[in-house]
Amino acid sequence: MNTIMVVDDDPAIREIFCAYLGMHGYTTLAAAGGTECLDLLKAQKPDLILLDLMMEPMDGWETLLAIRHNPSSHDIPVIIITGKQPAPEEIIRYGGFIEDFIVKPVDFSLVVACLNRIIEKDRTLRREIDRIGNDRQDPELLDEYTRLLRLLRSAHILKKRYSDRGWADRILLARQEERLLQLHKKFNLPDTLLDRNEGG
Amino acid sequence: MPAASVLVVEDELIEAEDIRQTLETLGYVTDGIVRSGESALDTLKNKHPDLVLMDIHLAGTMDGIDTAERIHALYAIPVIFLTSYADEVTLGRAKVTEPYGYVLKPFDERELHTAIEMGLYKHRMEEQVKENERTIRVLANAIPDAVMLLDYNRQIIALNDAMARRLGYHYYSDVHPDPSVQFDQNGMFTSIESQVEAILRSGRPVRFEEKNGDEWFEISLLRISGLGEQKPCVLVQYHDITDHKRFEDELKKEGITQIEKNMEKFQILNDQIRNPLQAIMGYVNLDCVQYRERIINQVRQIDTIVDRLDHGWVESEKVRRFLLRHFYDEPGIAPDPMREEKDGRRC
Repeated sequence: MNTIMVVDDDPAIREIFCAYLGMHGYTTLAAAGGTECLDLLKAQKPDLILLDLMMEPMDGWETLLAIRHNPSSHDIPVIIITGKQPAPEEIIRYGGFIEDFIVKPVDFSLVVACLNRIIEKDRTLRREIDRIGNDRQDPELLDEYTRLLRLLRSAHILKKRYSDRGWADRILLARQEERLLQLHKKFNLPDTLLDRNEGG
Repeated sequence: MPAASVLVVEDELIEAEDIRQTLETLGYVTDGIVRSGESALDTLKNKHPDLVLMDIHLAGTMDGIDTAERIHALYAIPVIFLTSYADEVTLGRAKVTEPYGYVLKPFDERELHTAIEMGLYKHRMEEQVKENERTIRVLANAIPDAVMLLDYNRQIIALNDAMARRLGYHYYSDVHPDPSVQFDQNGMFTSIESQVEAILRSGRPVRFEEKNGDEWFEISLLRISGLGEQKPCVLVQYHDITDHKRFEDELKKEGITQIEKNMEKFQILNDQIRNPLQAIMGYVNLDCVQYRERIINQVRQIDTIVDRLDHGWVESEKVRRFLLRHFYDEPGIAPDPMREEKDGRRC
């Protein structure tokens, strides 16, 4: 049974998300802000974190970096779920650390339906990486691969959001894409890892 | 106009008396008759005649030319020589003292009259020119800009005090200043060197801004046509715009800060609107069957409006980046994803 942590300063959002997650059989943890989230992570290890961005005093990006810095939580997949559409710079800077981002309001039952798949995909990735990591000595490159994979996935979501609305797309990541495929080939990883999250 | 006064310097009494009578016949006032250069100089300490009539051959240690030289150095009084002999050497010496006239003895009345009138007129004109020069100087120094006039060979013809200070010397007090512009002087004139060439060729006025250390200048160059056959020269003006630039920078900075604040507000508002929308959607999906679709539809409509605010923000982000790129010249503001990734690698 997967445990999901909801981090949001809006109590109504926490209540709704936890209710849906409970209905779908997840165990839930809720935190009202970044500090509380980090506190909870000292004792608990959820399988996935749903993280709001605009929170005081510690915002979502800060919280995200703190989660990634902490060895006990650095590998927990994080999905940003926010009322604020991330800026391209934010995606470029932080996209490598998140599984996905979702802009509210969203039909949360659709989100919940995807979570198990996302968790599973992340585990597959980690298994593959561990497998290669065990017989090869380039953890840095594997780390880069993971970050590029996440970055391009997040950037793709933002691009899609822009194009759905007919806005000019200004996110250019051709270099990164090329590098990702290069590493993908080098490590001979399964192509399913390159799939983008659907329905998120 | 009152009658002009004349001091007569003549060592021969008869001659002197003859001159005095002639002067009075002509309507001048004799302001004294002295016999030597020394007593002439003595007299001038207290008297200020309009003109001095000077015999070259005088009793005493100074001759007329020596005396005229002293007078020329000390006073702005015109001197006319009066002499019975005029050899080349004497004439040459006399010329150096810049005499206003030269009358040979024996003189006739008309000749003396003409010489005195010419002398007085020439002197008045010279005073006028000096006065004009003073006026121009006062005007040139009244403007705070550094101004200079360069001739065709880029030599300084004239400059005001502000420019002299910039050049590091006092042009008018230095006896022999080097009038050529040092084009590399503290890097100050480097930029105008080629411009001077260009404007002399094309004649099109040039104006540009330049930073020198902490100071900003607006530099104007203007070609001045020469009179007749004379070659053109160039007027160079340095206008200090440091304060103006500073103010402009402040203004730009403030403008960008304001845009940033507005953007920040957009972001917070959007988040604040979307959270209740999310809550409504969640509650409706949980609890409401009959009107669920309609409520969700309404929520979507509000969300579309919020989307437009997002778009406004995306647009103002473009404006902000544009401003930053153009006014702050910060290429770093456009993030280099690869660099960011390297930073992120530590995590």
